[in-house]
Amino acid sequence: MDERDLFRQEVREWLETHCPVSQRQPIVREEQIWAGSQATFPSADAQAWFEAMRDRGWTAPSWPAEYGGGGLDPDQARILEQEMARLRCRPPLYDMGLWMLGPALLAYGSPEQKATHLPRIVRGEVRWAQGYSEPGAGSDLASLSTRALDAGDHFVVSGTKIWTTRADVADWIFCLVRTDADAPKREGISFLLIDMHSQGVSTRPIALISGESEFCQTFFDEVKVPKANLVGELNEGWAVAKELLKHERKLMATMESITEKVDVGLVELAKSRLAVTDQGRLANADLRARLAEHLMQADALSDLNELIYRGMKAGQLNPALPLTLKYIGTHEQQRKDELMLEILGADGLSMMSDTPELDRMVRNWAYNKAHTIAGGTSEIQLNIIARRGLGLPE
Amino acid sequence: MILNEEQLLLRNTVADFLNKEAPIEALRMLRDKADAPAWEPELWRGLCELGAPAAAQPEEQGGLGFGAMGMGAIMIEVGRRLSASPLLSSAIFAQAVIRECGSAQQIGQLLPDLLSGDAVATVACQEGTHFEAETIRCFRENNQLTGCKNLVIDAASADYLLVTALDRQGHLCIGRIAIDAPGVAITPRQLMDGRQYGSVSFTHATVEEWLEGEQVVSGFARALDETTVMLSAEMLGGSRELLERTVAYLQEREQFDVKIGTFQALQHRLAQAYCQLELAAASVYAAMNALDSAADNLAQYASRAKTLTGDIYQHLSNEAVQMHGGMGVTDEMDIGLFLKRSRVCNQLLGDSAYHKDRFATLRGC
Repeated sequence: MDERDLFRQEVREWLETHCPVSQRQPIVREEQIWAGSQATFPSADAQAWFEAMRDRGWTAPSWPAEYGGGGLDPDQARILEQEMARLRCRPPLYDMGLWMLGPALLAYGSPEQKATHLPRIVRGEVRWAQGYSEPGAGSDLASLSTRALDAGDHFVVSGTKIWTTRADVADWIFCLVRTDADAPKREGISFLLIDMHSQGVSTRPIALISGESEFCQTFFDEVKVPKANLVGELNEGWAVAKELLKHERKLMATMESITEKVDVGLVELAKSRLAVTDQGRLANADLRARLAEHLMQADALSDLNELIYRGMKAGQLNPALPLTLKYIGTHEQQRKDELMLEILGADGLSMMSDTPELDRMVRNWAYNKAHTIAGGTSEIQLNIIARRGLGLPE
Repeated sequence: MILNEEQLLLRNTVADFLNKEAPIEALRMLRDKADAPAWEPELWRGLCELGAPAAAQPEEQGGLGFGAMGMGAIMIEVGRRLSASPLLSSAIFAQAVIRECGSAQQIGQLLPDLLSGDAVATVACQEGTHFEAETIRCFRENNQLTGCKNLVIDAASADYLLVTALDRQGHLCIGRIAIDAPGVAITPRQLMDGRQYGSVSFTHATVEEWLEGEQVVSGFARALDETTVMLSAEMLGGSRELLERTVAYLQEREQFDVKIGTFQALQHRLAQAYCQLELAAASVYAAMNALDSAADNLAQYASRAKTLTGDIYQHLSNEAVQMHGGMGVTDEMDIGLFLKRSRVCNQLLGDSAYHKDRFATLRGC
């Protein structure tokens, strides 16, 4: 047995011991454990699972141990991921800080910023929100107009951010702000960390087509922000933002595995509700063919992920490949949602039926429409693939 | 799922050789020859000297041991250049049928000549649009075989045929028949891809020997899946070539005083096609890997690879013609050759609709 096998065995045993059986089933939205001062736990089991993972630093498995992370190398992190998937362990912690800010701080943060923020993210003490988009700056993010004026030892921030996920319960927000109004668009932007409890910050939830209101608009009215909260150099926030977007793209591509896991099992769903032939096949040949297409695409996507991982390890990865994942992943998810809705027929038309499981599936169908918009729209993804991946001219 | 050092080296060697000996002009010349041979003997000799027909076979069985991954890498290069040779019919399909269905003695007698390329064989298994064991209408009577097969690759140019048939008990068996044996009538046809195929009718045709026994049903299925994966690799190569040629054209062609590659409508179409192409590519590599690791759900991998490469090859060939504008419909451009090859490949060994249906059944839909 080599080192890897030993590690796998150790991980397997540890998970068997520490992951309560109730935490080994598909996650539902109400039971996700979000970080922050207002965090709540749906059950004692959920809390125990979170705390066990937190104490090993496995809420952030590959972050350095000095910041409270697990300190795992890429192979070990992958083994942990695989073993968690094998046992169907739920993700122990949900937070934008964990997924996006952390990796960007590791690359661009000062030693003080890392020491202050990373351990609190690992421990789930702070809930982070993302302040990027504005009402007037969506796909054209660099045209953002929230401004931070230099006031000696601090900035004064005024403006508004939109699509800030659960800003109403967030503790901190990482923001792109304009610090030089005269420079070309991308060169006058800085990356700031802002305490949501500061004077002058307010939020308003936005009702969505899924009936939920995960997103908020956040307002900054002359908010004082210490200069120590500037990440990277002044006016060079675009580089930090790009680093962070990379992680967001990766996250969006795997959204299905991180967010709601109603593992619909479309084939079973279809066969339990629709006519089946004597040979046990779906009688609706057209639906059957489209289901097969979806399954093929989903299998192919998982092989593509594997190929990228192996290519990366062997140092022979075509850099265009990872650019495709967000576009493919989100569209495949939507195709799956549409098939689900079609199979449910008239039963899928209510979002307030007396079957919560059914409702959740239908709400997801509506909610997932955001996936091809958030984190860089599909159209922006295709621009990137065409220009950076294929080398077509700007 | 990715090529190792040796396989990369093999691929590069074959690519260099094909660049010199079998670029697309070679297919053009072959196509336009009066007697239209199935392949150039020179080219085939060169491929054999490189060991290409023996690439996949393990070393202990007289091969080079590059596995399906190695042979697949060769087929991708073949697909990029539309190189005509009996690699698919003989080195892949016929070899696999003998290896999977033959007795130890038959393997010992027949395989070495196929590995060296001294003999060329082809498999005649299709009676309708694809192989279907239940509907075979070729029958074995003692040492004779009667029935018809269609779309037999390289039929008239092979030394012998491996023909699927049913015996009196309805068991699948495979007859080895010399092409000049009594009772064999081959109607050769050049299809739009410039390659040679044949319809073959057997009237009490003399069979040299039978590949028979319990292993034949599963063995033939595996051989067929293996060939399907390798054909998919060729189709992947053709698709990649089409994308690259089209991107290059868009980088250079100017209209309205700009490169047409700056137009977002074209950029997005190619970017979407690229995503589909990479999904197809991942499916082909996963299928080659499934062959090398003897995965038990090979059929699923094979059907997925064939469907996804078939669909993207067809789509990209249409897009390539369109984006090359007027030049795209001229015979002078090579794009049309890929367009035609894609349609033939789609029909060989079962089209996308067939494989999608088979996949659906395998997945319980």
